[in-house]
Amino acid sequence: MREGPVEQAKLKTWSALSGQRRKPSEYEAVAYDAHFLNDYAQPGKSGPALPSIGPDSFINRWYQKNLIESPLRHDDWLAFRDPEEVTYRRYNIIQEGQENYVAEILDRFSNEGHDTGLSAEWQTVLARLYTPSRFLHHTVQMASAYAATTTPASTISHCYAFQSADALRALSHVSYRTVELARCHGQAGFNEDERSHWETAPEWQGFRELMEKVLVTYEFGELFAALNLVAKPAIDEACLRQLGRAARRHDDSVLDLLSDAVLKDTARSRSWTQALVKFLGARDGNVPLLRGWIAKWEPLADQAIDAFCAGLPDGDRAAVAARQATRDFRAAMGL
Amino acid sequence: MTLLQRSDWYDVARDTNWTPSFVAEAELFPSDISDPFDMPKAAWAEYDEPYKVSYAEYVKVQREKDAGVYAVNTAAARTRFMEEAGQRWHSVLKLHFGAVCLAESSSQISEGRMARFGRAPGMRNMATFGLLDEIRHGQAQLYFAHESLRYSPQFNFAHKLLGTQEWGAIMTRSTLDDVFLGRDAVTTAIMLTFAFETGFTNMQFIGLAGDAAEAGDTSFSNLISSIQTDESRHAQIGAPLLKLMVKNGYKAEAQKAVDIGFWRTYRFFTLLTGTVIDYFMPLEKRTSSFKEFMEEWIVDQFERTLLDMGLDLPWYWDFFLEDINSFHHGMQIGWWLYRDTVWFDVPAGVSPAEREWLEAKYPGWNDSWGRLWDQIGENIRAGKTDLTVPKTLPVVCSFNNLPLVTTPGKSWDPQGQMLTYKGKKYYFQSHVEKWIFEQDPERYAAHQTLIDQFLAGKIQPPNYEGALNYMGLSPVERGKDAENYAWAFAGREPRKMAAE
Repeated sequence: MREGPVEQAKLKTWSALSGQRRKPSEYEAVAYDAHFLNDYAQPGKSGPALPSIGPDSFINRWYQKNLIESPLRHDDWLAFRDPEEVTYRRYNIIQEGQENYVAEILDRFSNEGHDTGLSAEWQTVLARLYTPSRFLHHTVQMASAYAATTTPASTISHCYAFQSADALRALSHVSYRTVELARCHGQAGFNEDERSHWETAPEWQGFRELMEKVLVTYEFGELFAALNLVAKPAIDEACLRQLGRAARRHDDSVLDLLSDAVLKDTARSRSWTQALVKFLGARDGNVPLLRGWIAKWEPLADQAIDAFCAGLPDGDRAAVAARQATRDFRAAMGL
Repeated sequence: MTLLQRSDWYDVARDTNWTPSFVAEAELFPSDISDPFDMPKAAWAEYDEPYKVSYAEYVKVQREKDAGVYAVNTAAARTRFMEEAGQRWHSVLKLHFGAVCLAESSSQISEGRMARFGRAPGMRNMATFGLLDEIRHGQAQLYFAHESLRYSPQFNFAHKLLGTQEWGAIMTRSTLDDVFLGRDAVTTAIMLTFAFETGFTNMQFIGLAGDAAEAGDTSFSNLISSIQTDESRHAQIGAPLLKLMVKNGYKAEAQKAVDIGFWRTYRFFTLLTGTVIDYFMPLEKRTSSFKEFMEEWIVDQFERTLLDMGLDLPWYWDFFLEDINSFHHGMQIGWWLYRDTVWFDVPAGVSPAEREWLEAKYPGWNDSWGRLWDQIGENIRAGKTDLTVPKTLPVVCSFNNLPLVTTPGKSWDPQGQMLTYKGKKYYFQSHVEKWIFEQDPERYAAHQTLIDQFLAGKIQPPNYEGALNYMGLSPVERGKDAENYAWAFAGREPRKMAAE
C-alpha cells in the first residue's frame, strides 16, 4: 500500500491497518500487505510490477500478462484473510505435531512387520499407483510455489506457500515408503519403475497431462481455478482419499493412515480456497470467470480420475465417488 | 525405533524430474524465467545441495527455533530493555526493520521462483524451504517491530517504508528488484543466495547480533541470529549451481552475475550496516569496525569461496577494497544532514571519543571526513542548526539512488562516471555502477530516482517540504538528531561553549 505522511504520534498498529475497526490479530500484523510488489502488481493496476526495471524487461512483461491483466477484479485485494490465520510459526506448530503422528505410525507398523503382510495383488497396486505419486505431488509443489509468486496480496501468497510445502510433505512420505516397500518386497518394482509408470502407465497419463497443463498456466486467475478448484481436488479425492480407502480394504493401515494425515493439509487448503472464492464473489464478473475456467478444466480432471481409478480394485465406484466429491466441493462454494 | 534415516530415502525425494509430453519442455521451463543459459540436462543433473533437511526435520527445528525466539520476547522484559536502551539503539532497530522486514517478505517471491523454475529437484526442494524461511523472516521481524510501535511511530516504517517514495526506500527497491525480484531462477540463485545471502546477510545478522547482545538486547540478538541459521541453509542454493556452471563452460555468465549481484548488494549493506556499526552503535558496545567485519566476512571468506569455486574475484576488487574505507563515511554524513528525510533519529556518532575510535580504525579520518563534522559542530555550537539541514535535494546516482559522494581531498573523475543514453544524462556513483548500467541499459534507463521524480513534476509543491511529504514523512515521522546535539558539546566547558 502506498502511504502518505501519518500524523499520529501514537500508533497501536500499522498505520495501514489502523482504518479497520477491530484490533488486528497477530496474523494480520505479520501477514498483511507484506509484498511491496503488490503496490504496482495487482489485477487492474497500471504497472509495471517492478518500476525500477525497464517496462519491456521479461519480468515486467511476465507480471503484466499474468497478474496485472488478469480478468479477475477486486476493489481491495489486500482485504483477503486466510480464515485459519496460518502464520509461519503456527504452521510449524501444527505440522510438527502432524509429523510426530506420522513418525509414530511409521515406527509402530514397521515394528509390527506391517509390510510383510501386504498381498501380492496390493503390492502391484502400490508399485503402480502409490509410489509413482511422488512425481504428482511434486507437480503440486511446483505449481503452488509458482502461484505464491504471482498473487495480488501476500495473504494469498502465504496460503500457496504453505500448500507447496504440504505437497513436499506428501512427496516425502511417499519417498520414505518407497524405500521401505522396496526393502521388504525386492521384486515388486518399488524404487525402480516409478518414473516409467508416471511417464507411460495409462493410469497416470490423465494426471500427468492435467498437471503439465496446470504448470504452464501462468495467469493468476485461471491458475487458481485450475489448480485449487479442479486439479488439486481431483488429486486429493482420487490419489489420497480413494487410494487410502482401497488401502484400508487391503490391510494396508500405513497408507490408510498416511492418506488421512495428508488430507488434513487438504482441509486447510480448502478452507482458504473457499474463502478466496467467497472474497472474489463480492464483485460481479468473477464467479462467471471461475465457472468458465472450471468448465474448461473439469473434463481433463475427470479423465485423470477415471484413468487413475481404473487401476484400483473396485475402481468404477472409486471414480464415481471421487468425481462426485470434487463437484460437491465446488457446489458448496456455489460453483 | 525402526525409522529410516533421512539419507535412506532423501535421494528418492529429489528424483522427481520427468520428461513432459503434453506440453513442451520450453513451456514448462521458459528460458527467460528459468535458465537463460539453457544449460544441458546433464549439467543440471550434477546439482547437489550441500545442506540437506527433510520436511519433518524442518518443521520440528523451525518450531523449536520460533519457540526460543518468541519466548525471549516476553513483554515485560522487552519493555524494561527498550525503555532503558536509549535512542541510539532504537535508531538501529528502526533502520534495520525498515530496510529488512518487507525486503525479506518480498524475497518469498524469489524463493518461490526457484522452487518452480529451478531445473534440479534438489534446488526446488531447498527453495521450497527457503520460501517458508522468508515468510518466517518477514513475520518474526514484523512482529517485533509491531510490538515496538508503543515507543515511537517511526517503528511503523517496518511495514510502511517500502511502499513509500522515501529515497532509502527507492534505493532498497531498486536493489531488490534488480538482484532478486526481477531475475530468472538461475540468476536469482547466484545474486540472491550467493552474493546477497552468503556474503552480506552473514555480516548484517551475525555482526549485528553480536552488537545487539553487547547492547543488552537479548531478544533482538536471538531473533536475528536465529534468522541467520535459516539463511545459512537456503543461501547454499546458489553455490552448487555456480560450481556446475563453471565446470560445464558457463563461467563467464556466472562471473558476470556474481559481479553485478555483489556490487549492488555491497552498496545496500554499506548504507545499512556500515553506518550502524561505525556510527550508530554506542561506542562501548562496538565489537569491530565495519571495515574489520568486511575484511573478515567478505574479503577473507567470500574471496576464498569464490576462488574455491573456480571463479575470479570481481574485476573491480581493488577499487572495492579501497571503497570500504570511505563510502559509508559519506553515507553517514548523508543520513545525518538529511535526517528529516529518513524514518529514524540519526545519531551523529562523532563525539570526541568516537572520533578517536574512527581515527584509529580509519587512519586519516579526522583530516578528511572529520573536517566536515568540524564545521557541522561549529554551526551547532553557534546555535545555527538550520545551517546543518541542506533544504535542497542532493545530486544522486542515477543507478543506485544514493547521493554522489567522494572522500574530501581526493580527486574525482566525473567524466568517467557519467554517460548519455538516448539523449538522457546519467550520473553514477562510480565506474562500477556505470559498468553495470552498460551491461543492460534498457533494464535500467527508465528508473526514476527521487530527483528524476522531482524534475518530472511529481513532487508538489516543488520544494523541500513538498519532497518530505512526497516521501511519506510527516513532522512526527521525520528523523532528528538522535541525541539533541549533545555530542557537539561533549567534552567542552560550558563557558567555552557559550563563547563559541
